[in-house]
Amino acid sequence: MTNDPDQVIIEQLLAGDRGVYSVLVNKYKSYAFTIAQKILQNKPEAEEAAQDAFIKAYHHLAGFNSEAKFSTWLYRIVFNTAISYRRKNRYQFQSIENTVIKYDQDADGNLEKVDKKKYLNQAMLKLSEADRTALTLFYLDEFSLEEIAEITGMQANTAKVRIHRARQRLADELKTILSEEALTL
Amino acid sequence: MKKVSQELDDQLLLYLDGQLNSAAREGFELALKQNDALRQRLAQLQEMETSMKKNIVEEPSKNFTQLVMQKLDHYQAPSSSFTMFNGILLLVGILLLTGIATVLVSSGVFDQATGTIDLNTIQLPKQYIQRSLPSISIDGKLVINVIILLNLGLGWVVFDRTILKPLFRRRMQMLR
Repeated sequence: MTNDPDQVIIEQLLAGDRGVYSVLVNKYKSYAFTIAQKILQNKPEAEEAAQDAFIKAYHHLAGFNSEAKFSTWLYRIVFNTAISYRRKNRYQFQSIENTVIKYDQDADGNLEKVDKKKYLNQAMLKLSEADRTALTLFYLDEFSLEEIAEITGMQANTAKVRIHRARQRLADELKTILSEEALTL
Repeated sequence: MKKVSQELDDQLLLYLDGQLNSAAREGFELALKQNDALRQRLAQLQEMETSMKKNIVEEPSKNFTQLVMQKLDHYQAPSSSFTMFNGILLLVGILLLTGIATVLVSSGVFDQATGTIDLNTIQLPKQYIQRSLPSISIDGKLVINVIILLNLGLGWVVFDRTILKPLFRRRMQMLR
């Protein structure tokens, strides 16, 4: 008998109770969407990729190793799905200079918070896709280095070094963006 | 403002993550007191860390779960040309070829199929080759036997993928 709540749901799913899958989707949708969004940098596309990943995971549940962590397995599918979406739609790539960053006024009325998010997004866009994904997983604060490595298909040591350097680069980019903003004021 | 060295920058992250031992931390805090650029860099990194932690999670649309549940039945597995029918055809082909080759070998068709390749007949610049080159003998029967063995290996892989794996998968699903 397992104590892992995810495993209990998976067993119910495999027994044919497909309705319980919504519990897993609700639980992991934010992180799944975040990972897809950081890779694709396009909300509708990220939403579609994340949905696709959940559907793929559902249909491959029989092959899921119950000894493993469901979230790590799922996020690996999300990562791979987002990467394949990116490959398919590479021709639609928008350069950073032409990217219009929208203010999400509905999400929060606090202009300072919106600004911070905007600058952070701009700084993240200056990093490579691999750095962005590794940093996202790192700051989601749920994964060990080994899990980040498993999701992204890197060696744990490579992931460690990549995250370390990416944090420094992100701070540098953020500093540059903020200095440029200060000059335009 | 002077730029912080890479070594100090690396230490700053370890300091922020609480990965320095007490002696190293005390030493680093002393350096922080004496170095304005280091303090400023620490403030930058802290600001970035706080912003990242606050803003990292993005929310999908409200009907996300509903859409996933609606689409569950519309999943199309990636199309593969390796269907069961194709697999069985390939398996039959492999077995047929292996059978014919075995019959031919056992009836002695390849017994006389031997030959040698004399490497000295190949025209190569003299300055690179000082000694006479060996001859390579080829035994036709051996070559065909190797091909038969490779075919049997390939046949086993196709048999496993086409018949055994789907069979065991179906049995596992029935047991569940």
